Amino acid sequence: MAEELKVAVDRRANGAILYTKGYINNVGGEEIANRAYELMDQGLKTLLLNLRDTKIVNSIGISILIEIIEKMMEKEGIIAFCCLTPVILKTFHIMGLANYAKIFDNEESAVKELGLS
Amino acid sequence: MTSTAERTMELTLPMVEDIEIAAARAAANLARELGMSSDKIDEMTHAIVEACINAREHSGCADNRIYLRFAGTSDSDESRIDVWVTDRGRGFDPEEARKHRPRPGEAHKRGRGLQLIEAHMDEVDISTTKDGGTTIHMAKVEKKNG
Repeated sequence: MAEELKVAVDRRANGAILYTKGYINNVGGEEIANRAYELMDQGLKTLLLNLRDTKIVNSIGISILIEIIEKMMEKEGIIAFCCLTPVILKTFHIMGLANYAKIFDNEESAVKELGLS
Repeated sequence: MTSTAERTMELTLPMVEDIEIAAARAAANLARELGMSSDKIDEMTHAIVEACINAREHSGCADNRIYLRFAGTSDSDESRIDVWVTDRGRGFDPEEARKHRPRPGEAHKRGRGLQLIEAHMDEVDISTTKDGGTTIHMAKVEKKNG
């Protein structure tokens, strides 16, 4: 009963927005990582992950998101998140992810602050 | 004060990929029937996901099964769901696990499952013995206004 995660990418002038849909587990986390690393290899330094269609994350999936953040930090870029459910936001704080990535309530404010319009 | 009869449900699930979602959905359905809010349900489902993953990844059990029991009640004061997640594996030392886990907010890649369970649930207790399996009992309680 594998829960497939879908990732859609919206390229912008200064970066990209990744839209996730589904469960972020180990497989879902790797799918996000693959897409993010492709974009980073192309030189993009600002990535916004919009999790509006993700309702469940697990600790393994979040550990992979932390790896993506670490890799982007090495490149002196920015990873940000928006549209988190309250429980995912709480989980991100517990896991420490919120200390290393910007988190926005909505996409509009994220796009404005990150210069992704 | 009118109390609903206790609603119980038992599931035995195979330890296969993403089976934790089936467990979480079953508990969420029961919680919705009891009138629990979506935020409380979401916290409970995330805790159940972590408990099932711990069982699947760390129990080393021979039967490859996770045994779940849910019990829910609701009255004019509160809704409550108790969840038991059991495996028949090798057991572990909860104090040792707590000792080695990272501090809250410290970025760390693994070892957060028990910490997330304790953060998302109102009551958590663990029964575990060497080679005798592990049961994580956790409860979610929602007080009602008025």
